Amino acid sequence: MSTPKEQDIEKLKERILKMGAHVEAAIRKSVTALVERDRDMAISVIDGDAIVNTYDVEIEEECIRFLAIWQPTGSNLRFVTTAIKIITDLERMGDLAVDICERAVELMDEPPLKPYIDIPRMAEASQKMLKDSLDAFVGRDADLAIRVCGSDDFVDNLNHQIFNELLVYMLKDPKNISRAVRLTYITKYLERIADHATNIAEMVVYMVKGKVIRHMACEPRLTEKQ
Amino acid sequence: MTEAVELEVKNLDFYYNGTNHALRAISLPIFRNKVTALIGPSGCGKTTLLRCFNRMHDLYPNHRYEGEIQFQGKNILGDNVDLIDLRSRIGMVFQKPTPFPMTIAENIAYGLRLKGIRQRHDLTERIERALKHAALWEEVRDKLNSSAYDLSGGQQQRLVIARALAVEPEVLLFDEPTSALDPISTAKIEELVVNLKKDVTIIIVTHNMQQAARVSDMTGFLYMGELIEFGTTEKIFTNPDKKQTDDYITGRFG
Repeated sequence: MSTPKEQDIEKLKERILKMGAHVEAAIRKSVTALVERDRDMAISVIDGDAIVNTYDVEIEEECIRFLAIWQPTGSNLRFVTTAIKIITDLERMGDLAVDICERAVELMDEPPLKPYIDIPRMAEASQKMLKDSLDAFVGRDADLAIRVCGSDDFVDNLNHQIFNELLVYMLKDPKNISRAVRLTYITKYLERIADHATNIAEMVVYMVKGKVIRHMACEPRLTEKQ
Repeated sequence: MTEAVELEVKNLDFYYNGTNHALRAISLPIFRNKVTALIGPSGCGKTTLLRCFNRMHDLYPNHRYEGEIQFQGKNILGDNVDLIDLRSRIGMVFQKPTPFPMTIAENIAYGLRLKGIRQRHDLTERIERALKHAALWEEVRDKLNSSAYDLSGGQQQRLVIARALAVEPEVLLFDEPTSALDPISTAKIEELVVNLKKDVTIIIVTHNMQQAARVSDMTGFLYMGELIEFGTTEKIFTNPDKKQTDDYITGRFG
């Protein structure tokens, strides 16, 4: 039978997973709104951000309560401090999904510049990074977390590729600039979403191993096999 | 809070030896089936307050109560209170485990016999129930006729709790129940306290703030005989109203 402290830990994990699921859905819907030019979907994501913000505040309160009541040490202390940082990253990812929607709505005033192929790929990769980082948190899986860190390169490379493509469109015809610039914003937001997922994964490695890998270059992380 | 109130302290003052003014105008509710912790630095009056609930001070001369403690429609500080009955309905556990110099079973049977329960079958059943209630049964079921002094400190403390539980009290008072115990025994007693509250209202005095945070629902902070602040444990330990409370829980004094 689990102790009250263990029950509090499970509750916190559940809440963070729920927050993560909401943010994941927001990212997915924001790109769907862009590709399908669905204004209503964009608005529902923008309105739904209030829920993410509420999760942020409430989960933080629960973490502070956990610290006051249990005075955790060791792995439990790292768990709670990691949770507090993770929700900040999740909240920012929610804001970025809103930003994507705002640009998507603006883009609906003009016909699409080009078929969207790579932007959905970026979004899918970022969503997977988010899901895997939270699975790693809940499952205390440092190996999965390290793999998430490694996936960041794929998203960065896609970002550069799309940027270069859009540059060509802008140079070809000034009438393309307005739409192309908005699209570069969107790819920037998706790249930032992937960065936040990487932050979460780095915190998970700290939580599990007690080792700080934040702010380190990619190579050392890929060789972390302990 | 719209919780049921088991005991209500109303404007309580207490004097030792006529003139030592140990408690000043204390008022607070004790909620049913909740754990209320009393914290504060040494000499603040928390044990003095605790001992008002079962009139322990009556065992010593020259004490004076002013004010009331309401319990089931009656002021238990008044005259015409059956103190023996009161002390079986409001039981107490002390810092130092106090088993009687008897067997484990006899420790529990003693109070039951005083209540008129004498049939062997009834006694056996209630002894087992009390020991299970105090999470001690599995450890002592095969040695009920051995001396209580053979038990470890933590086990003796649980025996004392079982003894109090046997007479089915409504309230249990704990006066620093784990100060004399090792960390594992302490954790067992804390777990027991949290499990007991569904059956019994609990008031616990502790100088261990972290313990108060772990086990209690409500916390009262006392200082120099006054109740400085009373509220939910979560509020007291995350965001108390009074600076004095914050100073105490952060260790700036006391």
